[in-house]
Amino acid sequence: MFKKHFLFFLLLIVTLVATACSDDSASTEENAGDSSVEQVLKIANDQEPAGLDPHKTPAHSSVRVYSKVYEGLVTFDENMKIVGQLAKDWEQPNDTTYIFNLVEGVKFHNGREMTAEDVKYSFERILNKETASHIASYFSNVKNIEVLGDYQIKFELTEPNATFLTNLTNSSAAIVAKEVVEENGDLQQVAVGTGPFKFKEWVPDSTVTLVKNEDYYIDGLPKLDKVVYYTMKEEAARLSAIRTGEIDLTTLTAKSASLLKDQEAVNVKGYQSLEYSYVGFNVAKEPFNDPKVRQALSLATDRQSIADIVWDGDAIISGPIAPSMGDWAIDVEKEELYQRNLEKAKELLAEAGYPDGFSTVITTASTYADMVDTAQLLQQQWKEIGVDTEIQQIEWGEYIDTWSNTSADILVGRNGSGTDPDRAMNYFFHTDGSANVWNFSNSEYDAIVEKGKSTVDQEKRKEIYVEAQKKLLNLSPNLFLVSPKNYVAVRDGVEGYTPYPHNGEDIDEVYKK
Amino acid sequence: MYTYIIRRILMLFPVLFGVSIFIFIVMRIVPGDVAMTILGTDATPEALEQLRKDFGLNLPLYEQYFNWIGGVLTGDFGESMRTGQEVLPDILNRFKLTFELTFLSALISWFIAIPLGIIAAMKRNSNVDFGVRIISLLGVSVPNFALATVIILILALAFSYSPPVGYVGFFADPLKNLEIMIIPAVVLGTSMAGAVMRMTRSSILEILRQDFIRTIRAKGAKERIVIFQHALRNAMIPILTIIGLQIGTLLGGTVIIEQIFSLPGLGQLVLTSITQRDFIVVQGAVLFIAFVFVMINLLVDILYSYLDPRISYK
Repeated sequence: MFKKHFLFFLLLIVTLVATACSDDSASTEENAGDSSVEQVLKIANDQEPAGLDPHKTPAHSSVRVYSKVYEGLVTFDENMKIVGQLAKDWEQPNDTTYIFNLVEGVKFHNGREMTAEDVKYSFERILNKETASHIASYFSNVKNIEVLGDYQIKFELTEPNATFLTNLTNSSAAIVAKEVVEENGDLQQVAVGTGPFKFKEWVPDSTVTLVKNEDYYIDGLPKLDKVVYYTMKEEAARLSAIRTGEIDLTTLTAKSASLLKDQEAVNVKGYQSLEYSYVGFNVAKEPFNDPKVRQALSLATDRQSIADIVWDGDAIISGPIAPSMGDWAIDVEKEELYQRNLEKAKELLAEAGYPDGFSTVITTASTYADMVDTAQLLQQQWKEIGVDTEIQQIEWGEYIDTWSNTSADILVGRNGSGTDPDRAMNYFFHTDGSANVWNFSNSEYDAIVEKGKSTVDQEKRKEIYVEAQKKLLNLSPNLFLVSPKNYVAVRDGVEGYTPYPHNGEDIDEVYKK
Repeated sequence: MYTYIIRRILMLFPVLFGVSIFIFIVMRIVPGDVAMTILGTDATPEALEQLRKDFGLNLPLYEQYFNWIGGVLTGDFGESMRTGQEVLPDILNRFKLTFELTFLSALISWFIAIPLGIIAAMKRNSNVDFGVRIISLLGVSVPNFALATVIILILALAFSYSPPVGYVGFFADPLKNLEIMIIPAVVLGTSMAGAVMRMTRSSILEILRQDFIRTIRAKGAKERIVIFQHALRNAMIPILTIIGLQIGTLLGGTVIIEQIFSLPGLGQLVLTSITQRDFIVVQGAVLFIAFVFVMINLLVDILYSYLDPRISYK
């Protein structure tokens, strides 16, 4: 009997010890001393960062964190004008040479001064094949980087490139410290930059904590002592936490934004995003190899009802360049292919040899409700011209695979149109564009966007992209649908926060009352 | 007994070997790979190739497998392809949370289910019995995620309360930890309780019909003694089986509940890694879960012989 009881107690003790071992290493408790004056901003996000290395990680959930820790040579101001960041100014002796003068006395978070050597090292790391950097292709025309002094550096390009400075504003074109890379192998788990916030701790699937950089070279910034990012994948949980004040700020979907409209002590801020939704065709496959079929589908698409139903009316009809890019985007609503015209659509289908329509499959990602809703609307709308579709919903990892291999006939998704028209036009639709997965190739179009890339004169460049957009709409390798808004819910008492299309989460100036 | 335990532990190896091969192959059959999910629309053929090389995905399959399993045998589960985080420490860290959540829910479910099940069996076909059966049916049939979402909404809208954000370990701050864990534990506990309640009721009813109970009653024993000293103990075997299965399943990660309550447990790790095609993490985590499941089963088997000495393992 004793033996049996002994065994039972042994199990009990094992259980207790195991529980006792669950120590506090996952703790993120704020234990700073003077909590009465400490300015802490709590932000909830739906995704976990996918690593912190700015040169290796394009995921937005990572960018929002490392963009506070690292800085680049130049950045955008609130009007999307390029201004200096680590470079105080720059000159251009000729079309292919840029000389940057660096701000002096900038220190990395490890205390060492940042110099031109670090700039050189960072770009060499980006361009090094072994880094497998996602932004290497942005700087593939950099021929030579030369350090002219501690605070001066020269970039030589192989040919004139109007996108060079814009590409430098990318959060991934960050200046990193060589010794930190060498010590850690890469920067996925550490972050030592020159930015306003220092990286403190990352607890997987729970929190990322940043603290104020006391030595920041701009006086008075940042205003917060600490920023904590909470990963809360469930929207209901984020809504409940912002309602009760457990968190100060969170991103929202359009549907939830309307739920919070009348909530006390919470402000919902909406701003136009740089994204648009699209229908992508595999143009190598019948019937989509015929532009008339694609045009017919464009004429059968009611974009306004997509904006109304999928996005609660808070989305703008968009072309290949999102409307929040300002002057660069053409007013697509006047375009003929954007006027719903079922008669004309049927005529075009008949001319292409499909008088009775055809059947096909729309593939989209089940992960995003807006994509599925969009696909369902298209299914109804296209039915009216005899195009019968079946919707195939796949999981995100498989969706990306399908996208990159063009293994679907029609794909519904969302694209970021970037901060320079070159990305929206060249990158996605040039015959050799890295993200042209549509088998689309048109030599006239290629010539136009190549010219756009090398034309430095802004006015001329705009004209070129107007032509390119019209041409692309007419060829319709994709149907561009609508550009949604992004929403952020902010608690009362959080001051100084203004989201912009190109920078939705700037918190340098934010403080709490 | 001890030889039995040792034999069962030795049995672990073929089981885990089978699981390791299975999950390795499944992850390679699923479309998509980690290099593509990392780079997304920024992917270039050169960068993809370099990443695949870095992750060893360009090697022949058997070589990939032996590299991985060789590491596992020496305690090195590798690094996450996506975040560079070491796999085994991450799994163990998250297991603590999942372990705590599982046992809190199990405790809650026992406190509800076993007493109610006994009462229902004692007062068979009374109103109390009907009440218990309805409650247990609800527990079994209301999905976790629905109950969880409703509780979150009601607390936020009616009581302006939401659980604290950011997970804290039990020993760092027991009160905050319990405040975070209690709602998820109640949600899981009530749904576990349904099944346990039903099993307790029917198992006790079954025992009460047996001859030895009649003998005990004939000897004039009090009903309390009949139930607690004789019936319950004999009825425990099927109840324990259910509890063991439930705990084994929960320890493998309570994916939905962890997601809804933002708890960094094992379930979230597996889910995120699957969507990102982070093969190394999925493989390590599944192997670990299989190990835990087998161990729980072993534990249950040992408990059987403690509860019923007639069961012996030789």
